[in-house]
Formats: sequence, structure tokens, C-alpha cells
Amino acid sequence: MTGPGERSRKIKVIISKVGLDGHDRGAKVVAHLLREAGMEVVYLGMYQMPEAIVQAALEEDADVIGVSYLSGEHLVYTPILVEEMRKKGLHDVLLIAGGVIPPEDIPTLKEMGVDEVFVAGTLSQKIVEYIERHARRLGADNASSQSLRETGGRCQ
Amino acid sequence: MAEAVQVPLRETEPNWDEYLKAYYSKPSSTKTWSGYEVKEFYTPQDLAGKDYEEHIGDPGSFPFTRGIHRNMFRGRYWTRREVIGMGSPADTHERVRLLLEHGSSGLNTIADITYEMGLDPDHPWAQNEVGLTGVNIAHIRDMEVLTKGVPLDKVSWSLITASPVAAVTMAQYVAVAEKRGYDISQLRGSIQNDPIHFRYCGFKPACPIDLSIRLGCDVMEFCTRRMPKWYYTTVNMYDLREQGLTAPQEVAFGFGIAMIYIDELIRRGLKIDEFAPRFTFYVSCHIDIFEEVAKIRAARRLWARLMKEKYGAKDPRSMQFRFAVHTAGCSLVPQQPLNNLVRIAYEALAAVLAGVQSLHCCSYDEPICLPTEKGHLQALRTQQILAYETGVCNVADPLGGSYYVESLTDKLEEEILKILEEVESLGGMEQAIRSEWFDRKLEQEAVERQKEIERGERLVVGVNIFTSEPEKQTPLGVQRIAPESAKAQIKETMELKASRDKAKLREAIERLRRDTVEGRNLLPAMIEATKAYATTGEIMGTVREAMGYPYDPMEILENPFK
Repeated sequence: MTGPGERSRKIKVIISKVGLDGHDRGAKVVAHLLREAGMEVVYLGMYQMPEAIVQAALEEDADVIGVSYLSGEHLVYTPILVEEMRKKGLHDVLLIAGGVIPPEDIPTLKEMGVDEVFVAGTLSQKIVEYIERHARRLGADNASSQSLRETGGRCQ
Repeated sequence: MAEAVQVPLRETEPNWDEYLKAYYSKPSSTKTWSGYEVKEFYTPQDLAGKDYEEHIGDPGSFPFTRGIHRNMFRGRYWTRREVIGMGSPADTHERVRLLLEHGSSGLNTIADITYEMGLDPDHPWAQNEVGLTGVNIAHIRDMEVLTKGVPLDKVSWSLITASPVAAVTMAQYVAVAEKRGYDISQLRGSIQNDPIHFRYCGFKPACPIDLSIRLGCDVMEFCTRRMPKWYYTTVNMYDLREQGLTAPQEVAFGFGIAMIYIDELIRRGLKIDEFAPRFTFYVSCHIDIFEEVAKIRAARRLWARLMKEKYGAKDPRSMQFRFAVHTAGCSLVPQQPLNNLVRIAYEALAAVLAGVQSLHCCSYDEPICLPTEKGHLQALRTQQILAYETGVCNVADPLGGSYYVESLTDKLEEEILKILEEVESLGGMEQAIRSEWFDRKLEQEAVERQKEIERGERLVVGVNIFTSEPEKQTPLGVQRIAPESAKAQIKETMELKASRDKAKLREAIERLRRDTVEGRNLLPAMIEATKAYATTGEIMGTVREAMGYPYDPMEILENPFK
């Protein structure tokens, strides 16, 4: 039972691929399952550059950006994406990444400004719980991402 | 003598309830991977009324249920090919050489995303991604480096380009072979060349359906007439399976796509027995061993009947379902990564029990990064242990005659036929693609597979059963692509573009444009353009524009020849 007031408080998530990587099975499935968990999901699909993703997040007033990387492009595009988010003032937007990502790179991505990484094989419940706990709309604790993106990430 | 070490007894009690649960545990489901309930056991009754000769037949005899060769692996092992593609053509060449030194019996190189898309390394969208997932062959010199020192008339090279760019790959390979003085009719190998399916692998802008059929069939027609030893397509049902399809869906939709090409080749005036013996498939082997074997046996029987009854083939070779297997990448998970070695071994076993012609084993690190050297070698060793140690190669179709496997083969055949009929009722596969019915189907199936895991109906060790803390280190290290390789390739491409004989290039590009408009087979003009140092992006752009598509699939670059 949700009234109109509550409906506008749904968590809004942008899900996108980055660059040319076309492995979109995971991104589409995650978009679908987050929607079923009650979130509003804007699926941008393939061939998105960081600028376009951030622009969409801005226009949609999104709480979360989720990017999917399966072709080893995560270390290339993440700094560009984080910088773009900083420039556009998306300090309190949660940034999560998923896909084929070596565990060795997870600390690096977090240092760059990614809030959490969900590798292949993650159950959707874990992603839902994480977003519900950390997305800004529920007044969550997202201090880590805020501080990082305000300073432009530690890798700057 | 070393002193005995006193091991202190643990203070805490084991969880005996968990132990008892483990002791008494039994399968929570008795369905196959694709969801078919199976019985406690099977008996001769399950095969009653089926005539052996007509329904099953000996290995090497119609309907080829039991395999396409009578003596199967006694004649020759399957080809042990590991897919290789990374960084620059030189980096890829180096890895090919490494695996050859360790007993790999087939060469198998895969293109990167930028090349499959038809973008040169200096394209704004390509610059960050050149070489990340395969090798980019921007021009003839790259192909020369990739194949340096390789006796092209002796080895069997499998070129993995799936998109319409496969036509350029073929042209580049032929151009290099001709320059080196080889008689191209003697070249042996295969090219993936299945542009239709590739739109579902993230390459839609590069694979408009009409362009896909045209260029795909240009390669098939050219090879049939000029390179009779070459396998000109490997219809890739594996990639479709990776999107989340079930075993019978994989075969049915793969056959649907294959028939689009066959119908077009016949429309062009080729006779079925002229070209069908060189038609091949790429098949997945997932984790359910018996279902995968049954799937392949069913596919062989169905293909044989389809070719004979629907297409009127007379030559038995036209009726033989030839296939390579790629063990299922999507069955591998990064959680507890060494488990993947075991999954790969079971899947490879299924492929061999099913009578595979050529096998690629995934590397255990596939869900983590590109294959490391050690991961790649281990995949090759997995094949070698199967071939040289286990004895599974001694007898053709060792599971043939099993009440269970024969019944499951019949079941899979029935299910494949049902899906083929459904596709037929939609107006055929081409229509199912054009109407995006197939796009919706794939998405729906992918979501369903994930939900089965989330509901615990499908168990994956490390994911939803026997889970443990994630590991922080990849056991055999992580493969990295040196950014210098990409930078060097961008630079070389730009230098080549600046240093070519412009008049000769323009002439070749103009011929290519004219041949496209006038509906000729494009391979001869592509070979000439390649020799005139036209790049991959330029060749594809010219053809695309002449067919009414944007020169650049990403719609950024303008045609530089105008």
C-alpha cells in the first residue's frame, strides 16, 4: 500500500554499460531484479560514455548509478566517470559497479570512488540490501562516497 | 627425528546438526539443467518401438546420432584449440606460440570488441579498448604480424570474427596468403562468420540484419568456390546459450539462424551438396553432462534429417553435423575460483563423450579476467589429460545404447522440434529476429535463469550453497593488457593511413563501393582494398554506406573518401 507521496520516494537507479562492452546479460538481469525489489530503474543499455551516464543521472535525479564492466575496461572508465560525477556535483549519488572484476582491483576501484563492487555470481538480495542501506533517499550512511567524490577521489 | 607436535584439541564442539544434515542430504531436484524431470532409472521399455538402424544407426552412418566418424577418435583426436586474443597482434602471436610449444593442435585467434564493431584503433570509441578482449587487426600489416612464420597451407587456423567484419578478416587472411605465394585453394581452417547471431552479443550497430546476411553469405559463397578446404561459418549457438537459453533452445535457435544462411546460399544458385559439407557449428557444453551429450546427439540426428528431407541433400557429408565446443563460460563463477577447473573438466568430458570435432576449454579465470598464461595452459592440459590419460577416446559414442541417454536424446529432439515449430509459426527465424521477438525471449530466459539460482532451485557451489568469504587474491594472478600495446597500435594505424599510395587506395575503395551497390560478391574487392592498405574501418564503412547504413556504426566519423 503506497500512496503517491511514498511512491515518489522510491529509490531511483541508473543501470548502464560503459564504452563498447556488449556483455549486457548481467546488467539487464540486475535492472529487472532491482525493479522487482521496488526500485525505479532507468536502464541506459549499451554504448554509454561516462558523460552520458552522469547526464542521465542528473536529469533523472537518480540516487544510484550502477555500471557493468565485463571486458576489463573498469580501470579505464571509472576515473573518468568519478571525475564527471564530481564535476556535475553528484556527491551524494551512490556509485556501484558489477561484472567481471578481479578481486585485486576492488580496493583500487574503491579508492577511485566506487562505493561497492558486486562481482558475477552475486545474489540480487545482497545488492538490494546494500542499496537500501546506503542510498541517499533513505537518509543512509554514505559518508565514504561523499567525502571521496568531493575531493575528486584519492587517485586525483 | 623430529619431535612429535602436540595438536591442541579444539574447545568448541562441531555443529552436529549441520553434520547430520550433510550426511542425510540428497538432491533437492531431479530435473535436468533445462528443467526436464527424469525417472529413477530407465529400461529397454523406454526404447521400445525404436528401430536401431533408422533411429540411431552406427557411428559414421545416417542419421549420425552416434557421431560423424565410424572410428571417431581412433582416426584422430579432436582438435585441441584454445581461443587466444589479447593486446596487439604481436602479443597474440606470442601466446599462440606458447600454446603451440605445449602441444596445442589448432590455432584459434579471437578479435577484440573494437575490431568486431568495425572500428580502427584510432576511432574515438576504440582508443580505450583496443586489445582488451582480443586482437585488433587494423590492416594487412597486423595480419602479417599475427601469422608471421606460420605455414598457412599446413596448419588449420580458426579465425574468430563473428560480425560482418568476418568478411574483412577473410580478405586480410587471403591477402597475406596470396602475398606470401600460397595457393588459396589449399588453405585450411575456419572462420566464425555468423553475423546474424552477433547482434545478440552486444554488436547490434555492427550487425544490421541485411548487412549480416549479405556479408556472411559472401564469405560462404567465396570460400565454397575458391577455398574448398575452408570451413566458412561456425554458426554460434554457444553464444546464444550464454545469454541464458536452455539446451534445446540453444540448438533450435542455432538451427533457425543456420537456415537463414542456407536459404540465401540456395537463392544465390549454390547446390546444397556443393556447400553444406563445410557448414559447422559452435556448441556449448554446460554442466549437466548427460543432458549436454543428449543435446548434441539429438542435434546430429535432427541436422541429418533436416539436410536430407528439407534441403534434399544427397551427399552424406552434407548431413553431418560438425561442431566445435566451447565449455560454458556462464557456468563459471569468481567465487572459489579453483572450482572452475573441475567444472571445465566435466564440461570437456561431456564434449568428448558426445564426439566433438574441436574443443576450447575455458580458463578457470574466465569470470575474473582474460586468461592468464597459467590459466590458458591449464585449460590445454585439461584437454590433454582427457585425450591421453582417461581412455574415453577408445570407443565411439560410449554412451550410445544407454537407456537413459537414448531416452534423453529423444526428449531433447522432441523439445528442439517444438521450438522450431514455434519459430516457424512466427514466420521463421528471420522474422522472429526482425520483430524483436527473439530479443524479448533472450531477456526473459536470462532473468528466469537468475531467479532459479536466487530461489535455490539451481545450485552453484560458492554462490548459493557451500559459500565462503570472498578471496582477495586470484590464485594464479591476473592477466593485464599493457596500455603500451594499444597506444602503439593506434600510432601505427595513423602512420599507415598517412603513408599509403592515395590514388591506389581510392581506386580500390571505389571498386568496393561499386561492387556493393551492384550486388557483387564483395570478397575480391575487399582483398584488393586490403592489399592497397585500406583499414578495417574504411572497408566496412565503405560497404555500410553503400548499403544505406551510417559509415561509422557509432555515427561519429564521416566517410573520408568523399
